[in-house]
Amino acid sequence: MANTEVFWKQVISKVRTWSRLNSIWAVHFNSGSCNGCDIEILATLTPRYDVERFGIKLQGSPRHADVLLVSGPVTRQARERLLRTYEQMPEPKFVISVGSCSISGGVFEGCYNVGGSVDEVIPVDVYIPGCPPRPEAVIDGIIQLLTHLQGGSRPTAKRPQIVEEAVA
Amino acid sequence: MNTEQLLTQAEDLLATWSKESTHPDPMRLDVVISADDLRAATQDLHTARWGYLSAITGLDLGIEAGQLEVLYHFCSGPAITTLRVRQPRDGEAVVPSIADIIPPASFFERELQEMLGFTITGLNNNNRLFLPDDWPEGVYPMRAEFTKDQGAPVPGRHADEMPDEGLINGNTFVVPIGPQHPALKEPGHFEFTVDGEIVTGARMRLGYAHRGIEKAAEARNWNQNLYLFERVCGICSHTHAMAYSMGVEKLAQVEVPARAQAIRELVAGLERVHSHLLWLGVAAHEAGFDTLFMYSWRDRETVMNLLEQITGNRVNYSANVLGGVKCEIGPEQAKAVKEGLSYLEGRIRHYLEVVTTDVMFLNRTRGIGTITFDEAVKFGLLGPTARASGLVRDVRVEAPYGAYLMFPVSAVTETNGDLEARFVVRLKELLVSCATMNNLVDNLPEGPLSVRVPRKIPAGETISRMEAPRGELLYYIKSNGGESPARIHVRTPSLCNWVSVLEKAVGSQLADVPMLIAGMDPCFSCNDRMVTVARPGDRQTWSWEQLRQHGIEYYK
Repeated sequence: MANTEVFWKQVISKVRTWSRLNSIWAVHFNSGSCNGCDIEILATLTPRYDVERFGIKLQGSPRHADVLLVSGPVTRQARERLLRTYEQMPEPKFVISVGSCSISGGVFEGCYNVGGSVDEVIPVDVYIPGCPPRPEAVIDGIIQLLTHLQGGSRPTAKRPQIVEEAVA
Repeated sequence: MNTEQLLTQAEDLLATWSKESTHPDPMRLDVVISADDLRAATQDLHTARWGYLSAITGLDLGIEAGQLEVLYHFCSGPAITTLRVRQPRDGEAVVPSIADIIPPASFFERELQEMLGFTITGLNNNNRLFLPDDWPEGVYPMRAEFTKDQGAPVPGRHADEMPDEGLINGNTFVVPIGPQHPALKEPGHFEFTVDGEIVTGARMRLGYAHRGIEKAAEARNWNQNLYLFERVCGICSHTHAMAYSMGVEKLAQVEVPARAQAIRELVAGLERVHSHLLWLGVAAHEAGFDTLFMYSWRDRETVMNLLEQITGNRVNYSANVLGGVKCEIGPEQAKAVKEGLSYLEGRIRHYLEVVTTDVMFLNRTRGIGTITFDEAVKFGLLGPTARASGLVRDVRVEAPYGAYLMFPVSAVTETNGDLEARFVVRLKELLVSCATMNNLVDNLPEGPLSVRVPRKIPAGETISRMEAPRGELLYYIKSNGGESPARIHVRTPSLCNWVSVLEKAVGSQLADVPMLIAGMDPCFSCNDRMVTVARPGDRQTWSWEQLRQHGIEYYK
């Protein structure tokens, strides 16, 4: 009896992973970005890059979403809204931080209305640096997430560090 | 009338009120007036139909000078008249509101109020525009002594106080849309009061993407600011960087080589194509026409390829440097541009046919949100939104700059003023842009790409105007002779065009609101706004997606 239960649990878990991998629904939140990342995220959904072939779809409501794509430094006014959007998402949820300013504040670091990076507000699973990242980079970030999900684990990304280049 | 006559006319009009008038450059007239005469002077300019109010800039002249100054920039063709009003810094700085004479001034005045601490008498709306609701009272970010710590949130308040929602009385409800309106400087929160399906009131709150760029610019040097201003907006990044560079070059009295100017124009033209195609797709998506969305974005990739080939980046191209450009157009690039443009021209003609003949689509656009010529003037609309109503507001035509002196363009106008006209104007404008770019590539002037610009920019102030894809972009730049600017003020076109949405939403169907908002191209780039719609006996929460769906179902 116990064995059958374990067996079915495994089957259900496999089916769940399989379906999750093939139908990632994403919600996009702009937390004060310049729009550069936003148009590149949209470009990944349109015919040339077409992430819908992986089952990835942009979803209007966070209540139906698996992945939260956040772009932009977190402005003071957007902070609470970002938290609320994150909290509305059903578990398990994953966060992808898109663009340099969502990672470190980028060019807006130190501005009076900018709070800082996304990972200071909500936990982030994948970081995609770039100003803005190319659609290929966005796809790469999503695939990294999918690869980890396939293995049954969360991604263990660390926040990218800024490397000070030697001045020639 | 030429510039000189225009300025003389303005000087005569303002003679009664003028305390002092100067010509900082041949295009500009500065008139110092007292705050008491401001309304009368504005009324005179307005009655004589001398230009339009383009922006209001607030200045803090510094702790030593002990004064604040407000500059009212009126533009008529290439001529700019600036009314300057000085007020003490320590006491109460009071200026009267001119919003009842010129409605778009209310946005500028609200900005002035919260950024510099002016008291605007007679302003009907004193709500915050950009700053969060937990911003402390009496702290003004554009004042000289401001530091980031002073703006620390007031305990017990929310950055974003929840709006009123639900039943007001009888059948009237408030529908909050936003705040996630993920545009550039203009992500906003809207509140539409609805009576059943009809919108009876509209209100807007900005500031979700307010980062404080103007203040940050004062702490960075001239060169760093080029990259900061490029990121005011990711869609028209080149236009911002170019308007900033043109202003700084004017201050430094540097002549940019003709070849650099032509290349700047070429990149700006490509940017216009990418921006309009992006808008066409998103606006079609709002109407439920996803096929057009996908097609126009597919074709947009052609422009993105060209931009990448020329500048090395798809978005935020960094084509400008102070004193010129950093990318060359070689034979290979020129060939690619010509091929790409000839393909796009065909596609644009096709889209023009689609938006004027597709019956389903015309149901959503023809006769909806009509703005008459007089209304366009009254609301102070800019760019394609104004041109769709027959009002020629195009800096490239009115006050040609840079390469437009060598390669002039003609303004495209329509007279209907409805949503359809706004589609037609933008698409026809692309055909004009394509022709200009072809001409540019064929006749690219020879010469160097850039000249040296000093590290310290001579003291002075200047106004730099440019036609962005969405309308006139205005940069006010002031230097004290140092390595960093003293003040930079940016007035983006969308700020002026919001009025068209707010005014036109009233009286229209709720189902038309997404298209009305999309119709002015507020840099709509993603779709995750939340909408709460409360209806009699049917309280429910709607996502933006559902509101869009509601619009599509309604018109089925």
